[in-house]
Amino acid sequence: MASLITCPHCGVRPKEEFAVRGDASRGRPEPMDSDETWHDYVYVRVNPRGRTFEHWHHVAGCRRFLVVERDTATHEVYSVVDAAEFARRVER
Amino acid sequence: MVRDYNNRHALEQKLRSAPRPAAADHLMVGHWRAMATVLARAGQAEAVRQSIASVPELSLRFSGPGEWLVVSEVEAPSGLVRRLEELCDGGAYVVDQSDGRVVFRLTGPNVRSILAKGIGLDVHPATFSLGGSANVLCGHIPVNLARTDEDTFELIVPRSYAESLFDDLMRMGRAFDLTAAFSD
Repeated sequence: MASLITCPHCGVRPKEEFAVRGDASRGRPEPMDSDETWHDYVYVRVNPRGRTFEHWHHVAGCRRFLVVERDTATHEVYSVVDAAEFARRVER
Repeated sequence: MVRDYNNRHALEQKLRSAPRPAAADHLMVGHWRAMATVLARAGQAEAVRQSIASVPELSLRFSGPGEWLVVSEVEAPSGLVRRLEELCDGGAYVVDQSDGRVVFRLTGPNVRSILAKGIGLDVHPATFSLGGSANVLCGHIPVNLARTDEDTFELIVPRSYAESLFDDLMRMGRAFDLTAAFSD
């Protein structure tokens, strides 16, 4: 796992300061969506090899949620942005 | 039944023995220090920061975007909260933390070597400038680290972690013969 994360608020930090929530690219389904959709959202995880977007919570630092773009095979980190900023970019 | 509640410092038990004379590297534990968290409302962060930074006796410690720990050596807790609320003028939420946190002041020529044993942050003078501050992990304990002087760092820790952090710091400083005492 990538061992150094460059937090946009705190700078370069060790991974021990973070908690990983998981996939950041999936949106939450609508409340009245089918049970199957909700089942997939809650229980089914993909296990990708390669570039992924993940939510990382900087628990011991600024306590902000970040979106970390990293490679699960090479551990390389491509970008780290605040989750609020990421959501704004996705909306656009 | 009437009980007397004594205001006891979290480290009273640990620092009970007669103080040794302070060595070159010394750990001072602040007895009672007024501090408060300030969380700016959306869009008010810069205005709040500037109005607090304009007061020299208030020390701003970064703890997140739009959020600070404000430490004062002169104010009493209630006075600090009132003062901050006046300064921010409704632009921020102010919560008193004076009884909930303990301040450690680590000073001496080897202070960076001591900190390096527990903190995963570059504290080289060129990177961590005077007046800088950050939330970091010291071992497994979340602390707010601030550089208050050339070779002086302050660690602010939740009260319930104080004894544990104290033991860790003394172990980290044992190679340098670190001493400890209450600062006032």
